[in-house]
Amino acid sequence: MSVLERVGGVAIAGSAAIAIAWVSVAPMRLYESPDAVVRVSLGARPERIETCREVSDEELETLQPQMRQRVVCEGTTARYRLEVRRGGALLASQEVRGGGLRHDRQLYVYLELRVRSGQSSLDVRFVRLDSAPTPREPEPERVAEREAEREEHDVDNRAQRGVIPGRARREAEESRRGRAEAVPALLHLRTNVTLSPREVVLVTYDADERRLVAVRGKP
Amino acid sequence: MALTARPITRLALRALTAADATCNRLYGWRFNPLYQSGTIVLVLLLILLGTGLWLIFFYRVGEPYASVARITADPWIGNWMRGAHRYASDAAVLATLVHAFRMFAQGRSWGPRTLAWVTGVVVLALLFVCGWTGYVMVWDTFGEALAREGARMLDTLPVLSEPTSRAFAGERPIPSVFFFIMLFAHVGLPLGMLLGLWLHVSRLARPALLPPRPLVWTLVFATVALAIVRPIGMAPDVSPFRVPEMVNADLFFAFWLPLSRSMNGAAALTGAAVTLLALLAVPVLSRRRGIAAPAPSMVDESLCTGCRQCSIDCPFEAIVMLPRTDGRADEVARVTPDRCVSCGICAGSCAPMGVGPPGRTGRDQLSRARAFLDRPERQSGEIVAVCCERGCARYGSSLEADGAAVYSVDCAGSLHTSVIEMLVRRGEGGVLVLACPPRDCWNREGPRWLTERVYHDREAELQARVDRRRVSVAYANASEPRAARQALREFAAQVAALGGAVAESAVTIETVCEPVPAEEER
Repeated sequence: MSVLERVGGVAIAGSAAIAIAWVSVAPMRLYESPDAVVRVSLGARPERIETCREVSDEELETLQPQMRQRVVCEGTTARYRLEVRRGGALLASQEVRGGGLRHDRQLYVYLELRVRSGQSSLDVRFVRLDSAPTPREPEPERVAEREAEREEHDVDNRAQRGVIPGRARREAEESRRGRAEAVPALLHLRTNVTLSPREVVLVTYDADERRLVAVRGKP
Repeated sequence: MALTARPITRLALRALTAADATCNRLYGWRFNPLYQSGTIVLVLLLILLGTGLWLIFFYRVGEPYASVARITADPWIGNWMRGAHRYASDAAVLATLVHAFRMFAQGRSWGPRTLAWVTGVVVLALLFVCGWTGYVMVWDTFGEALAREGARMLDTLPVLSEPTSRAFAGERPIPSVFFFIMLFAHVGLPLGMLLGLWLHVSRLARPALLPPRPLVWTLVFATVALAIVRPIGMAPDVSPFRVPEMVNADLFFAFWLPLSRSMNGAAALTGAAVTLLALLAVPVLSRRRGIAAPAPSMVDESLCTGCRQCSIDCPFEAIVMLPRTDGRADEVARVTPDRCVSCGICAGSCAPMGVGPPGRTGRDQLSRARAFLDRPERQSGEIVAVCCERGCARYGSSLEADGAAVYSVDCAGSLHTSVIEMLVRRGEGGVLVLACPPRDCWNREGPRWLTERVYHDREAELQARVDRRRVSVAYANASEPRAARQALREFAAQVAALGGAVAESAVTIETVCEPVPAEEER
């Protein structure tokens, strides 16, 4: 191997090392436009749309003791529509359902929308599409409360019917909590923001305040 | 295989042999990094393991960015370790791709080698995922971009009801458990890679795991030197309320990022899956329809003396020794067809010429050699250049122009020494075996065994009665006609000094094989 070949070998190895080092920290343009981003990210419990009926004493007796409950509700969760507008122009519109195969879990939304930077009038609406339970149907809480009262004043019959003591009250509480935690039928956020290039404004659901909020980073 | 190769394989092979020839000139075949690409990957993984173990002591899942920033700010060991870790991972990707390209170009990716190819692709995929987790662990703007892109792709799968992207939305701080999972994966995936590498070489006898020691130290030194000369910095910290315009990206691990960002998550994920499947399907795709795999070796049990040499020499552990059932006391060799790549190395290692692929056993080789010698246009006393058909046979005409008679064989390693003996004893001026460089042998150990049979009395050795001065072994690959012609000129001068060769009237080839005791197995 000649000296020239040795030098060539070292030079090529050195060049390869330099190339590796350059490719390892190569500048990459991720976000070319000066647009800003509206990020809609929310998670909430959808309202249940269900039909409830009161189970008769005879029907209760045919059931196993652990299956006996005075009010049986069947149904699904409501569908919602999310619409995002900027300056009146529709940016996104999508139907949202609860998660899981039966759509009975928490609903989630994640959207990233590019908007021109500068002053923006942002309008976000989250509307329930399905109607609430009809008044003709028995309201589970009321039936459960009635049942609870009956339990308290009719100890002997309670044992005969076989309904587990206190169950009606617990179910009533559970039902009440579920309704309270469900996302309201209408959420509406209207705000004017001035967004700098590549700034992100986050629109999310504040479960405590039960409303949509826009969050921005510190300037 | 060369005759049946597709145009893309032929083109790849031409490029590879040219690059091999250049590197042979610059570094010599022993240290040719292209030949050593597979073993180089292992050295780089060891560097990654060493530096990674050091870094893990200083990484904090509760404050990922700050802890990495502290490591980086240490101008001595910390920065060097991080730099060496990063550059070694980049070089590992490069070396893996070179190794895969080599196997593809040489058609060593299908048939019995399918397992090696598939496990190699899986190891490469794990390397990419492991690198991805490593960059996400830093949680700078580049790491965040990778995490967001990964989450965007993951969210297209109908598996999780809550989009993973919400974790990075800015609603709440990213929980430490996320970085713990990344760390767990970053440490766990290399274990999967080790398993993959074990499977990768599981069908090889005597797998070469490490390159020559000088190359090992050169790699270690080069990685550390690069980390010192070009230290790694920190990209800006992540803010969920600002998207970065630019990042300093490691293109070895993020070359796909601009492409995937330009399409929706489902398309990007589909693209990644299709690429992976296409790579896994190379053993099927690279095989030409209608062309059967080369027939595996066969054993003529009546000739087998149970010497074990073929079993020892087989580079793929495809020959096992079993007790005989025909009443003879010895063992008998048996070929496992699933493992046999039909390389023919066993044909060269069997003194009684009882094993080898159909039509390529020692006896078949002798018949062919006789036919070669009996050709009417042949002149006795020439130098016979025995050329590997994947090597210097490609430029056989230029050797013929220099006065040699070219006798091509499918692999110099499968050449039976009896053929050399016959050529010399029948009065040829000399026999120059031009084998591929040892690390370039498509059959792994052909030149090594050939050299030992010719010079070091390895079983099936070149007999003592053959004039060694008229025999030589030299190395040249398919793009090194200059080296081959130089070897030919030197050998011709050596033979010329010996005077004219004398042809024996009746040449009888002995087929004796001494059984090798088990403790002498190498």
